[in-house]
Amino acid sequence: MLSLQHISKYYQVSGLKNYVLNDLSLEVDEGEFISIMGPSGSGKSTLLNVIGMLDDPSDGYHYFAGHAVHQLKEKQRSALYKQYIGFVFQAYHLIDELTVYENIETPLIYQDFKSSERKAMVADILDKFNIVGKKDLFPAQLSGGQQQLVGIARALIAKPKMLLADEPTGNLNSKQGEEIMELFRKLNREDKVTIIQVTHSEKNAEYGTRIINLLDGKIASSKKL
Amino acid sequence: MIRNYLKIAWRNIIGGKAYSAINILGLAAGMAVALLIALWVNNEYSYDKFLPGYQQVYQVRRNFNSNGETLTFSSTSLKLADALKANYPEIENVVPTDGNGSHGLLVGDKKLFLDGPRVGSDFLKVFQYPMLQGNAGSALTDAYSIVLTKATAISLFGSTDVINKVVKVDNTFNLKVTGVIDDVPLNSSLQFKYLIPFSLLEQTNPYMKGAHGSFGNNAFNIYVKLKQSVTYAQLSPKIKNMEKGENNVNAKNSEVIMQPMQDWHLYSDYKNGVASAGFIDYVRIFSIIGILVLLIACVNFINLTTARSEKRAREVGIRKAIGSQRKHLIFQFLIESALITFISFLCAVLFVQLALSPFNALTGTSIAIPFNSISFWAIAISCVLLTALFAGSKPAFYLSSFNPVKVLKGTIKVGRSASYSRKVLVVMQFSCSIALIISTVVIYRQIQYAKNRPSGYSISRLLTTSSNADLGKNYSALKNDLLQSGMIESVTMASSPATDIWLHNNIDYWPGKFAGETVEMGTISVSDDYFQTLGMQIQQGRNYSNVASDTQNVVFNQAAITRLRLKNPISQIISYGGGKLRIIGVVKDALMLSPFAKADPTMFLYNTNPQDNLIYRLSPNVNPHQAITKLNQIFAKYNPAYPYTYRFVDDDYNQKFGQEVLIGKLSGIFAGLAIFISCLGLFGLAAYIAEQRTKEIGVRKVLGATVGQLWFLLSKDFVLLVIISCVIASPIALYFLQGWLQKYDYRISVGPGVFIVSAVAAIVITLITISFQAIKAAIANPVKSLRSE
Repeated sequence: MLSLQHISKYYQVSGLKNYVLNDLSLEVDEGEFISIMGPSGSGKSTLLNVIGMLDDPSDGYHYFAGHAVHQLKEKQRSALYKQYIGFVFQAYHLIDELTVYENIETPLIYQDFKSSERKAMVADILDKFNIVGKKDLFPAQLSGGQQQLVGIARALIAKPKMLLADEPTGNLNSKQGEEIMELFRKLNREDKVTIIQVTHSEKNAEYGTRIINLLDGKIASSKKL
Repeated sequence: MIRNYLKIAWRNIIGGKAYSAINILGLAAGMAVALLIALWVNNEYSYDKFLPGYQQVYQVRRNFNSNGETLTFSSTSLKLADALKANYPEIENVVPTDGNGSHGLLVGDKKLFLDGPRVGSDFLKVFQYPMLQGNAGSALTDAYSIVLTKATAISLFGSTDVINKVVKVDNTFNLKVTGVIDDVPLNSSLQFKYLIPFSLLEQTNPYMKGAHGSFGNNAFNIYVKLKQSVTYAQLSPKIKNMEKGENNVNAKNSEVIMQPMQDWHLYSDYKNGVASAGFIDYVRIFSIIGILVLLIACVNFINLTTARSEKRAREVGIRKAIGSQRKHLIFQFLIESALITFISFLCAVLFVQLALSPFNALTGTSIAIPFNSISFWAIAISCVLLTALFAGSKPAFYLSSFNPVKVLKGTIKVGRSASYSRKVLVVMQFSCSIALIISTVVIYRQIQYAKNRPSGYSISRLLTTSSNADLGKNYSALKNDLLQSGMIESVTMASSPATDIWLHNNIDYWPGKFAGETVEMGTISVSDDYFQTLGMQIQQGRNYSNVASDTQNVVFNQAAITRLRLKNPISQIISYGGGKLRIIGVVKDALMLSPFAKADPTMFLYNTNPQDNLIYRLSPNVNPHQAITKLNQIFAKYNPAYPYTYRFVDDDYNQKFGQEVLIGKLSGIFAGLAIFISCLGLFGLAAYIAEQRTKEIGVRKVLGATVGQLWFLLSKDFVLLVIISCVIASPIALYFLQGWLQKYDYRISVGPGVFIVSAVAAIVITLITISFQAIKAAIANPVKSLRSE
């Protein structure tokens, strides 16, 4: 469902090209659960942002769900993105001024769901994640794990085909991290959500079906589990 | 979606209380100024438009060619009124009036002395004031009738049900009440308390016999109503030259024009025969000021919102990352600014409601917020939305432009990138504020300058009382009693009060006159002791010696001698009004008209007949209060039918500054508000900058910086901006003020002092505003700010 061909991303610094991604190619099939690893500065997050269409590559071809993303305009890209992709961040990135309920509801607003539909969908996911009791709390009133749970619920609310997670457990303790990983595995197996996560933890990486190691903007190794 | 946006907007307002308060207070103050000015402007435009059919009503005027210069007069002749009525079917009604005069009204023991004109019988058909009693068509047909306003009827009779009751006017005429009209509103150009038929004047005043004979007898005002289908443009060429045929200097040089009623109030100043100026100038200036103050307030909003964008950047990043398009965010931020603007508007309405009564007292208006008017709300709400759009669009476009990856990683410091445009906006704000400060200072200096100008006569302790038949008849006995009482030191009579010249006339001949030359000579008939009483100084020749033969003599003022180009005026002969007069004296110029203009060329004619104004000076060292009580008794003796009324000449004189003082006060208030709003914004910006530089300040402090050095560090940027604003504001203000000062013959020259004073004031105000934040940041314990990193 995703194909990156010869993707490069570089910054011009006093005339020199400083490569973050260097001629990288990657194929991802539907239903995969990929863990991306690598040292700091190897381009993990950039790769994830490119896949998530939050960042443009400097060169290369990018196909997603049958669309040539590198040829799309911002508006079309945004539509594609809204329909297929959910994003989970290391720092949760919930909106402080909105309650749990409202945070989860927000993506639906941008996809023009009706109020009654939104209500049903949010209620459903609150129930699924077991956070019904927290729905009227603000992010500051939750623990880190609970916040990340809300972040994932928000990412999944619009039923995306692909979930992108940038160090989702980075700010959590190991028990909370484990719970999140179990949730990812369940989503991947039962709901057939394609997941690409960036992680520093070997243990968390092994929840995936494939581990990709990045080094200096290139794929150093790729192994199926 | 809107509910979600409103919710987050509301939580943001509540969350950042201090910033929201500054935002809302600033916007509310700006909107209050704009709203107040809008109401005032609306009031000025509403003048005379409450009368049905006002579009077809005109006042007849004359463009008089005075040696190549066109002067426009509103005084016209009855012959002109007759001719307009007889020869122009386009005109439906012609109404002559004698202008306002004060007359005594007597009913039983109720005595009133009020203003009212004598008007042609069609007056109430042209000016359709609401009739409470009587019939507009016939109320003024009988010469011995009178129409009262509601307030006058109630003062005289205690009710408005007064048809056929009798009012004794000037202790002479018994007039029957034939109508009662509603009180004349303040936004009416014509102000009066009652109406007397013009026919009474014609039947009872011998002077009126010849008044219809010539286009030269210009002593009346004429109002006309054109037929519904007729426009002035069609009529104008036909009436223009109707006076030219008469062999008379006044008529030959006069062109007949008309001014529509809707222009009377705002376009009262004629230049070269065209009404292009007047109060409209001030309406325009204050409209601009209103818009500027509102813009200044919007700038606050823009600056504070973009400065605080760091806080919002994360939210923008998240929203974009979960699927928001830029248009959604723009819409969200616009909703937010609309909410703040709307709250501000409610505050502004409250402020205006509180400010209205002092404002009305200051400007002499009766403005109210038209809460029941749908159009008011429609306009107000569209203005609120427009303001929201204006103030909100820059922040909205700026905030929504953030790149989500960068803001979420924190790799760009948003908020700083907009600091250049923020500086430009601050400079714009302060330029406006400083220009207003400069204007206020200049206007006050100009008023003070004119007030300190020697007026040429002594106005202190001087009083005027309007004379009438009884007082005129008993003048010498009255004069005796007044002087005997010891309360006054001198008394005289004159055809004009000390602060006005009611009559201007042409002089037929003087030595050195060019062929065809005319002159507008102020003409005042005076009785014994005129110059002594007013304290005017004889410069050349002699004073009148109070003998009948002085009626063959004339005294000019210096301006008149200059105007007539007389080198050795004394004993020269002039001819005036068919007789010859010998110049016996020249008095120093006195400022009887505008204290800002050159003295009017004036001649003082000795006259033994009773005159309209009694002018007398209280003795020094008498208590004015006791004196008035005593004078009241003396006047009552000779004038039983009238109340004793008097005016202090210094009050009248000070009234000549009324408009300038008003403009000065208003511009002072608006300048104060503008600088207040600007400083409010600066206060917020300074707080933000101090917050941003907390760490830097902490490090500098640890390295040994003193509070003074840190204060300088945080203040110098702002002071620089204010200095730049001064440099921009000064020439702009100078340009406009030079234009304003051109109106006055007697004016200050604007030197560098004003600009220096204004600049220093602005800098001091700025320093006070930002020092609070700067010193707070500078004295904070650095350990705290550094630990928090």
